[in-house]
Order: sequence, then structure tokens, then C-alpha cells
Amino acid sequence: MAFTTPSTGFSAAQALRAQAAPLRSRTNRRLAQLAESVPLAWESLAANRMRSLLTMLGVIIGIAAVIAMVTIGRGAQTQTVNQLRSLGSNLLFIQSGVATTGSPASQGAGSATTLTWEDAKAIASASSAVAAVAPVLNRRAQVVYGDRNTSTFVVGTTPDYVTVRDFLPLSGRFFNTDDLLRATRVAVLGQTVVDSLGLNAESALQTTVRIQGEPFTVIGTLEYKGVTAFRDMDDQVLIPLTTMASRIVGVNAISGIALDAISVSARQPEQMEAAEFQITNLLRRRHGIQPPKQDDFLVRSQADLVSASTSVAKVFTALLGGSAAISLLVGGIGIMNIMLVSVSERTREIGIRRAIGARSSDILQQFLSESVVLSCCGGLAGVSLGVVASALINHAFGWRVGMSLDAVLISLLFCMAIGVFFGSYPARKAARLDPIEALRST
Amino acid sequence: MLQLDHIGKVYQVGELEAPILSDVNLTILRGEYVAIMGASGSGKSTLMNILGCLEPPSRGRYYFDGRDVTSLSDNERTDLRNFRIGFVFQQFNLLSRLSAMENVMLPMVYAGYPRRERQVCARRMLERVGLGERLDHLPSQLSGGQQQRVAIARALVNQPELVLADEPTGALDTRTGQEVMELISQLHQEGITIVLVTHDAAVAHRAQRLVRIEDGQLEC
Repeated sequence: MAFTTPSTGFSAAQALRAQAAPLRSRTNRRLAQLAESVPLAWESLAANRMRSLLTMLGVIIGIAAVIAMVTIGRGAQTQTVNQLRSLGSNLLFIQSGVATTGSPASQGAGSATTLTWEDAKAIASASSAVAAVAPVLNRRAQVVYGDRNTSTFVVGTTPDYVTVRDFLPLSGRFFNTDDLLRATRVAVLGQTVVDSLGLNAESALQTTVRIQGEPFTVIGTLEYKGVTAFRDMDDQVLIPLTTMASRIVGVNAISGIALDAISVSARQPEQMEAAEFQITNLLRRRHGIQPPKQDDFLVRSQADLVSASTSVAKVFTALLGGSAAISLLVGGIGIMNIMLVSVSERTREIGIRRAIGARSSDILQQFLSESVVLSCCGGLAGVSLGVVASALINHAFGWRVGMSLDAVLISLLFCMAIGVFFGSYPARKAARLDPIEALRST
Repeated sequence: MLQLDHIGKVYQVGELEAPILSDVNLTILRGEYVAIMGASGSGKSTLMNILGCLEPPSRGRYYFDGRDVTSLSDNERTDLRNFRIGFVFQQFNLLSRLSAMENVMLPMVYAGYPRRERQVCARRMLERVGLGERLDHLPSQLSGGQQQRVAIARALVNQPELVLADEPTGALDTRTGQEVMELISQLHQEGITIVLVTHDAAVAHRAQRLVRIEDGQLEC
């Protein structure tokens, strides 16, 4: 018989029990159990390894997507800012005016051509804070070489464009003052145009391309600039402003050549505001604009463009992050689903635990710990995956967007919140089970 | 120690009311060994659940050690089960994923004992029921009689004053059933109040006092 031992076992245990009173204080009891609930939850999740893993997958993908998308957004933002900076330093853009003719509604910058080459020359000679001035007259036009053609931006400008916009020829040369005065048919091609015409930087030189049917000799190609928030800076053809006005656009303003815009570089970064002030005053005087009348031009600095495109990029980042967050939400619903299954599978276990002394809050805590452990494990895995994905994205695009620690921490906190939020309904369901009903279930 | 005062229990099944217990009066003294006998469906398990504070009665009062259980909160009833009552079920009701040790430790977890003490007590209890060699076995690795002994160890680990045994031998063969009954008698001799539910006369006759239940009413 198994029970031949004298009954000293009980009395010994009794003596031991008498020494150490149980932690009847509710907080102590709760704290002690919290510390143990995590390994217990882990064990119970490990018992259903495949299921736990699949459930976590939703959170893993969600978190990884959020981190990767935010990296893409921030990368694109830095990229844009860098490219805007590379356009040239201390830049000011003067756009041809806001139309005010008759209609009280503004038609936006560029809707009327009010700037002329004379204005550009006046700015260059009269504004002390201005280093160089490049007048710009654009048209989208067809460029043909042999049997290839491409639609691109044809920009009529002056040799100062090189200084203002910080463009250097990759091959050949830029046109000079002589070309400008004689309105020669020479063109400098951006690299995108060179590629679309099936040429390269060297082979393009001295070929003849047709722009709107007019033959032009290619005398140079431009260095790469990349894509800004607005357009591909390499998808353009530069020709002398005079040629542009007489051959391509074919319209002369009343006083000289009408322009779409003027690019200006200030002498010093500190002189940007001075330059803007001088230009505004000069143009108002030249255009006869008195206070009640609106300016028929718009002066914007590079900083304005940077902040405009930065805010665009921020919206972009938020959209990307937001759509990734939806997948995180779906992951959370997956957790809720599997926790509900788990509660109904373990109804009997809940009944047994309740019968031998688990309070309903103990059951709540047990299931809540499981969902939080589940979501946090998913979160950790998701963060790791997201960091790897970000590294790959950085590598692929040549960016250097670092992972911020707060993004990781926020993700993890968010995961914990998801675990609590989506786990609380199943856990409450478990806690509210009637002990007897639960014990009776099979 | 236990006093049932005009206890009635009615189950609501849709529109119908199914009376399980009607007007049960029963007093059990400290240290008694009482067997409740009845056919299946006689309401003996429901009576057991009410005694074990697992289920509230529909009518009447139930006093545990002078305290009116029917007026206690869920948490207070839970603590009564935890600290003062030990349960032994027909189907053992061990948690299949936990070892014998962990199963026995469970009531102490909810009582809030520190881990070390839980281990010491659970080990002693299992040694006491003759399973000192099988501490780390899972229930599925133990025979029925061994599982029931683990369940008894679990019922005893928080030093209850009352042990409720619901058909403790129902799922066991005669020999292991006898071993388990032997152990329960021993607990009684050590001063623990025992209430046992069974339909087996041989089992019931080990008790000091026999209470028959039929159609929800006691015949003393």
C-alpha cells in the first residue's frame, strides 16, 4: 500500500505553513502573480507553437510595414530636400505673376506672363544682394534625333544659368554670350533626354537634333541632377533665350522677351532676404504696382520650396505609415480571434482553476498576459524585420535613414496596447465564465 | 460547521424550470465524515457544488462556519474554496499540460505563496500520497489511481478544513478505488471534515454518517 508511511507528512507541512503566512494582501498577491504570469503565458503559447506564430504574423507584418514605410517616407523627404539644395545655393525664384486682370479671383502664379528679359537685366544690374540672374522661358516640345523622339522641357535661358542653378556640363560646353546675342541654334541636353534619344554624353556632341522641327546642334550635355519633388531635372534641353523666343515660342512681348520665371542667386545666404526685398521693390516699381494692386509676380526662396516639399513628404509618410497601421489593426483582430478560440478550448481548465481558488481577476490576468506576450513577441519580431527591411531599402536607394529608437519604442508600446485592447474582450469572457458551467464542459 | 437551511435549486431551461433540490436541510459538524448517496440525477452533485461554494442556491441559506455564504461576493467565495475547501472530482480534473508538482502547487499559486514554499509543500504532499517518485510526470503519464492521488494532494495542499469528494472512485477500478478511500479515511482521522458523494454503497459505508438523496430531497 502506498499509505503505510505515518501521517507525519501532513503535520510537517502544517508546521511549515504556520511559519509562512500566505500573501493575503491583495497587491502583494497580484504582484507576485504578475511576475509569474509572463513565463506561464509563454509556456501556454509554446504549447500551440504554429498557431501562436501565425497569429503573431499579423502583428509582425504590421509593425515591420510601419517601420519600413516610415523609413521610405523619411528617405524620400531627405532625398527631396537634398536635391532642392543641389539646385544651387542661395536660390530665389521669381515666377511670372498672379493674373489680376478683371477677375477678382487669382489664377495662380505663372498664369500670366508679366516678367520680361528687361526685368531680369534690371535685377542683375540694380540689386546689390544679387549675384547672378538667369531668365527662363519654358515650353514642352518634341525633340527628334533620327527615328527617335522625346517630349521634354525646352528651356530658353542665358549663360548665367550655369552659375545660378549650379549646373555644370558633363560633356562639351554650355552656350556663351556670343550664342545668345546671335541667337544660334545650339542646344545643351539633359541626361534623360540624351538617353531617350539613344545617345550618350560623348556621342551626343555635334549631332543635330530637331526641336519643333528646327535643327539644333548639340554642343554639350548636363551633369546629372536627379528628380526633385517637381520634375526630373535631367529631362530638359537648354537653348539660348533669344533662340527660344524667336524659333520655338515665336511671340515677343511688347517690351522685349516675355519670361516664365527668373532664377536669382543671392551673394550670401544671409542676403537672401535683402535680395528678395530688393527684387520685390524693383519689380513693383518697374511694373507700376501701387499698394491696393496685387503683385503680378511671386518671389519664392529655396527655403520656401524645401519647406513646401517637406510638408508634402510628411503627408506622404503619414499616409504610408497609416496604411501600414491598418495591417497592424488586422493583426490585432487576429489576436482577438485566436484568444477567443483559446478561451473556448480551455473552458474546462478555467473551471478547474476557478474551483481550486482562482479569482476571476486571476483568469483575466492569465489570458491578458497571453495576448500581451503574443503581441509583444510579434512586435519584437516585427521591429527586427522592419529594421532589416529599412536597411535593405537604404541600401537599394543609397539612403542613410537611421532607425530612431523612439520609433522602436513607440512600436513596442503600441504592440502592448494592441495586446491589452484586443485581448481584453476574450479575457473578460474567460473571467466571467461560471465556474460550474466551465467545469461541466468537455 | 456546515449548515444548509431550506436550500432549493432550480435550473432555468428556456421557459421551463427544472427543480433539482427542494427544501434541503443539513448540518455537518466539524470532523464529521458524511456520505451523500443517491442515484444519478438525484441532485447530489448540485448539492455538492452548493456545499463547495461553486454555485449559489436559488433559495435558502448556507452557513459555512457561521458565515452566510449566499451573501458573500464572488471573490470571498473563491477565497473560501481556495483556503478552506479541497475538491476531489470523479474525473480528477488535473490540468493536462502541468506536471504533478505544478498541479499540486496551483492552489498555492492563487493563495499567493512564494515559489520556494510552494515547491516544498507540493513535494511533501505528493510524497504523502505515495507519488514522491513521480513529481514531474504529466497526468497522461500516470494511472487513474495515481492521478486521483495527485488530485487529493492538490485538495490538501492549502490545509483545508473541509474536503469535498464527488464520486472519487467513480473512474477507478476496485483496488485503486480502495486505496483512494483508504487515504480519505486517513484524512478524516487527522481531523478534516469529509463530505463524499457516491452511488456506491460499499464506498458510502466507510463514512460515519449516511445521507440519502432522492429527487432533490434528503432522507436521513
